[in-house]
Amino acid sequence: MVGIANESVVFFGHLSELYQLAKEGKIETKLQGSHTRPCKFWTAMKILSGIKNTVVIAHGPSGCAFGVKQAYKLTNCRNSGSPYESIITTNIDEKAIVYGGEKELKGAILEVDKKYKPDVIFVATSCATGIIGDYVDAIVNKIKPKINAEIMAIHCEGFAGEYRSGFDLVFRQIVQLMDKPDSESRSRLANSVNIVGGKMGPERTEIETDVKELRRLIESMGASVNAVIAGNCSLEEIKKAPSVAVNCTLCLDLGYAIGREMLDQFDTPLNSTILPYGISATERWLREAAKHLHLENEAEELIKREYEAIRIEFEEAKKYLAGKLAIVEGHDAIKSLSIAHMLERDFGMRAVIYNFHPWSTQARETSIDYLLETGLDPEILITKGTLAFGKYEAMVQTENELMEYLGDLNPETTVYFGSSMSFPNIPVVDLNAILNRPRFGYRGALKVAKCICTALEYSFRPRSWVTKKMVFPENSGLCSAQSLTPKLAQDLPDCTVYAGRERGKCMMS
Amino acid sequence: MYDELKFDNCNHSKDPMVGCALEGATGVLAGIKDISIVIHSPQGCSSTVSAAYDVHEIDFTKRKVACTRLFETDVVMGASSKLKKLIEEADSKFKTRAIFVVGTCAADIIGEDIEGLCRNIQPQINAKLIPLMAGGFRGNLYDGIELGLNALFPFIKKQKEKIPDSVNLIAPQANLNPTWWADLKWVRETLEKIGIKVQAVLPHDTSLEELDNAGLASANILLSHDAGYKFGLKMQEVHGIPLILSDIPLPIGLKNTARWLRAVGNYFGVEEKVEAIIKDGEDIAIDVLRRRGLMMIPRYRNCRVAISADATMGIGLARMLFEELEMIPELLLFRSPVSDSQLLLENELNDMGISPKVVFSADGYQIKQSLTESCVDAVFGSSWEYYLAEELGIKFVFDVFNPTNRQNYLNRAYFGYEGMLNFLENVANDWERALRSKHINWEEYS
Repeated sequence: MVGIANESVVFFGHLSELYQLAKEGKIETKLQGSHTRPCKFWTAMKILSGIKNTVVIAHGPSGCAFGVKQAYKLTNCRNSGSPYESIITTNIDEKAIVYGGEKELKGAILEVDKKYKPDVIFVATSCATGIIGDYVDAIVNKIKPKINAEIMAIHCEGFAGEYRSGFDLVFRQIVQLMDKPDSESRSRLANSVNIVGGKMGPERTEIETDVKELRRLIESMGASVNAVIAGNCSLEEIKKAPSVAVNCTLCLDLGYAIGREMLDQFDTPLNSTILPYGISATERWLREAAKHLHLENEAEELIKREYEAIRIEFEEAKKYLAGKLAIVEGHDAIKSLSIAHMLERDFGMRAVIYNFHPWSTQARETSIDYLLETGLDPEILITKGTLAFGKYEAMVQTENELMEYLGDLNPETTVYFGSSMSFPNIPVVDLNAILNRPRFGYRGALKVAKCICTALEYSFRPRSWVTKKMVFPENSGLCSAQSLTPKLAQDLPDCTVYAGRERGKCMMS
Repeated sequence: MYDELKFDNCNHSKDPMVGCALEGATGVLAGIKDISIVIHSPQGCSSTVSAAYDVHEIDFTKRKVACTRLFETDVVMGASSKLKKLIEEADSKFKTRAIFVVGTCAADIIGEDIEGLCRNIQPQINAKLIPLMAGGFRGNLYDGIELGLNALFPFIKKQKEKIPDSVNLIAPQANLNPTWWADLKWVRETLEKIGIKVQAVLPHDTSLEELDNAGLASANILLSHDAGYKFGLKMQEVHGIPLILSDIPLPIGLKNTARWLRAVGNYFGVEEKVEAIIKDGEDIAIDVLRRRGLMMIPRYRNCRVAISADATMGIGLARMLFEELEMIPELLLFRSPVSDSQLLLENELNDMGISPKVVFSADGYQIKQSLTESCVDAVFGSSWEYYLAEELGIKFVFDVFNPTNRQNYLNRAYFGYEGMLNFLENVANDWERALRSKHINWEEYS
């Protein structure tokens, strides 16, 4: 390893080795106390926020519902043009904590049914009502005949599971809303797919997005999309979803739970690959979908056509990159694995994922299993800063360690794939920037290629001292002049969790 | 007086416009310098604490928060040893002078003895430990602010002597101006101009020394009509510091600013100085409006409006819009229960001789219903009201409160004379944008 002192390194090896160590309990996989993720309630809400004309009753104090409203609902209005969407709280107080909140919940369900007339009411439990043991299932079952909406209890108390358990829970549960397919419904949707693993709501209308690109590819192949679950889908679309030819995962990690459940319950085939970044992953995604749609020839023609349209620029980028070292910022585990996959398979680079938190080996098991099965096993470098206490303190430490690692690496042969709020002295390719979308599919591959070429072309320009100073104030205690933590973009104060007071904060996720 | 609207189907279900007690309580703590917060809770509550830091716009380099990340077994078995370890870790890594140990719903309900634990481990901890139970079920954001302010009492030293002409400013953050700290700045600078020292701000960027010396102030001024009143009364009782100016609106608009300044002037015997400020302020505001805002006279006169805000902004704004801009406030939608400012609101409306429809603790549904059923031409509100009104076909929506879609790189007060101009500038720009056609049929012009 270049530059970095051995005592700074917690792990340096292949993903498979890290995975094994984590399984054997030989490496700490807990998040440190200063590094929190959204809880099960929040992640459950993120999926539920993607189903149209439904109302969530968050059975608990107002804060849980209000947080979700600020984060997801307001973002949907701001970015995607959604109309104002309510989220309801039973607003339980100290008295309800002592005597139970069942009366409040019953009342709330009846009121919501009357005033909003939703297709579905989801009753989501919070920590408070989970602990006091309100008999939510019984209330829901008893009240069902008295209301017009369908109703479902979601047990998503914040303490009841890790971050992703809320995604999986809701994705598995909404399968209960689906109609069993019959030959007629299957034949009606024989030419359709669902894109599963979406969240939050509609796509931004004014820009190209990953979901739109996948939809375009499916349609160019001659098929159609029944629903993006749960990205602005309706109850009607959910009901008929099992009859489609195949479920295609948007994000393997999130899409797998619903895809697997639908496969088990309704025999709906599942097309699951890692995020379709780059040519290789996209081709796999398309070919697998085409197999179930019986559109193999169309898919091959599409692949040829699409590749031909980007070939020149793509090959140009490839020339620049083949054989070079890619350091991929690993804070977002799924993205980093997908990018590593693309860089190795499409561009012939050697990818080292930097500071992939060991916690992700458990949180992202599905994607890791997939990647290893496909024979990809990127290198992982974890330094002590990743596990350090204190969000900003950890950022400073990881940054310094990154600079140490880069050491004497030749900027001509090394490229950093991470946030542009990082300032390493090598070309930085930020695939998260809003203008660099879509990232999926062929147009995505072209965007990636262009993004790489631009980063390399302008790598002679020193990074802006203004932006550097914005991120690293002089008295922040950071030692290295050229540095910024690769984790920063994700660590900016929970902006992806909580939309906050103003626009303009990062809401990319 | 006013006509309080009642709604069907709203007894048990609420579409909340404000956060819970945890956000309010930690929003007070986040305003204190050199402290850290350890929350004993599942990890989701950290986002609420983040929101509390956002209230004071504390940047990512200065946030010191740790969370015990409680899971099921912790809730069943208790997690005091986990909390103890985390406090030790936070103490050694954050090295702040005080650590607030905050219990949220889960810890609060299972009865974790945070107070006992803090007492027991205090000898081994460098930072002063302050326990605070702030389960979200203890109330709304404003109740939480009272809880948080109460937690500051142990820091305020009892003082027999008071410093003449000095004040504490209470609850400046309970204010929907997106850059409310500019209002605080206006108050501070104006007071200093007339020779009154600000002893402590409770809280914003407040040092522990400031807190320590808050007992020396000779008066307390509340900067909110939504929170802090109970704390002000308790300060009066415990520290003998009178709460002043709580019976008049905050300085929003020309008349309210003059009233507020005169009340300060009378209390401290600096009438002449405040009269000079009032004269200058009014001259400047009117002069600017004569040159740049003349069209607002025909534009706004007798325009029927809804104000959806907190009481801090809403009460003062009602008079400014009615008397100074000749608008008609038909609908007042308050996010808070306005429990401690009801009388002030009644007095104001009686004095103006208007009887608008009013909703207290208005939730999203009630705001939408009220706007649907009213015939207002324009709405003053936040981005929430912007989207609601857009859906209802109300063309003029002034996005002036939190959460806002407006980007403010520079802080803009709404209090005082410049504050009034800032506010009107926002309104004028939103008015112009609302009149821009978005659906031109280009073919028709080709």
